[in-house]
Amino acid sequence: MYSAPYGSQADGGSLFSGGGFMPTQSATQSADGISRKSGGTQNTGLLPLTVKQISEAAQNSSDDTFYIDGIDVNNVTILGMVHNKEERSTDVSFLLDDGTGRVEVKRWIDGQDTFENEQIAALQDGVYVRVHGHLRSFQGKRNIVAFSVRPVTDFNEVTYHFLECIFVHLHNSKANGMAVKGPSISSPNYGNPVGGGAPSQYVTPNMTGVGGSMDECQKRVHSVFEEPSSLSSEVGLHIDDVARRIPGFTKKQVKDAIEFLVNEGLIYSTIDDDHYKSTNG
Amino acid sequence: MDTSNPAPFVNAELLKRYPGRRVRCVLKVVRAEGNSSLSGLTSDGLHISVKQVPSVASLSQFVEVIGVVDSDRSLRAEICTNFGDTFGMLMLQSQRLR
Repeated sequence: MYSAPYGSQADGGSLFSGGGFMPTQSATQSADGISRKSGGTQNTGLLPLTVKQISEAAQNSSDDTFYIDGIDVNNVTILGMVHNKEERSTDVSFLLDDGTGRVEVKRWIDGQDTFENEQIAALQDGVYVRVHGHLRSFQGKRNIVAFSVRPVTDFNEVTYHFLECIFVHLHNSKANGMAVKGPSISSPNYGNPVGGGAPSQYVTPNMTGVGGSMDECQKRVHSVFEEPSSLSSEVGLHIDDVARRIPGFTKKQVKDAIEFLVNEGLIYSTIDDDHYKSTNG
Repeated sequence: MDTSNPAPFVNAELLKRYPGRRVRCVLKVVRAEGNSSLSGLTSDGLHISVKQVPSVASLSQFVEVIGVVDSDRSLRAEICTNFGDTFGMLMLQSQRLR
C-alpha cells in the first residue's frame, strides 16, 4: 500500500499517511487503510489496480499470494464497466472492463441482506462501477471476489482511480528500491500522458539518514574510527587524517559526518575540536 | 481474465497513434450534428467528430466515447457513456476564461 517510512518528511505522499478517509468529490468513501511497513512486506491496506496490473501480478506458488510491486496483494479496488452480468441464486458475476482488460468479478449473495440486493439491482451492463474485493485465483484464472460493488455517480472518480493507480505503482516501485519505470504501461493513457515525470531513482549522498540510518560518507568515516589503529591511539584521529583515508569525499563532507557521529554518540572529541575518537575504545 | 483488447484513454493528440484501434476518449459535447454524430472538445482543446453515436439527444455535457479511430480527428463510436455535467476538465475551463 502506501506503506513507507515517511518519518517526519512531509511530502505529497504524506496526504495518505494517517489512514482515514480521502476527501473525494464523489459520494465514494474509499477507506484506504494505511499500513506502515514494519520490516516485512506485510500489507493490510488497499491497492487500487488496473486489470492489466492484476494479470501481470506475480504469484507465490506455495501459498497463492499475489505480489505487485513487491507488496503482497490483499484488498484491491478496481473501476470499470460492467459486461455480461449473470445473476444466479447464490452469486452475481460479471466481467469488468476498465480499458486495460477484462476481469471476472464475483459477488456472493447472502439472501437476507437487502442492501446487497439493492446494490446488485443497480448493476446493469454498461454501467461504470467501483469494486472492492479480494484477488483470487481459481483454476489458473484470476478473479475478484467482491464485497462491495457500487455504481459510479461522479465520473471524476474514473480519472481519480487511474491517477491513484499510477501514483501507488510509482510509489511502491520506488519504495522497494526498484528502478522506477516511467509511465507504467499497465495504466492506460488518460488525457495527457504521464511523460517524463518519473522521480529520481537514488537518494543523493547528502541526504541525512532518518531514524538512525547513515549515509555512505558517515559509514565510511565511522569505519575509519573503528579501525584497531584508531581505537588504540590515545588522541584519536585528526579530521585531515580521516579525510585522507577515504578518498572521494570533500573535507566538508567528512566534517559533517563527524558532527553527525558525535551527535549519535559514536565518537567524541579528544584533545581539541579536530581530534576525534570512537566511543568503542 | 482477458487483456487482449485494451482501449487506451486518448486525447486529440494521441488519436493519430491508434489508427483503426479501439480507444476511449472523454469529450465535451459542442454540437450535435444530425441524429447520430456529434462534435466534441477533447481535454487538449481540439475538436473531434464522432460518428454512429447511439442516441445523440440523451447525452450529457461530457461524454466518454469508446470506439474505433477513423482518422486523426474522428471516431466511430461503439459505446457512449454520459459522464455528467460536472466532469473536471481543467484545460477546457482555463480556455474558456481566456
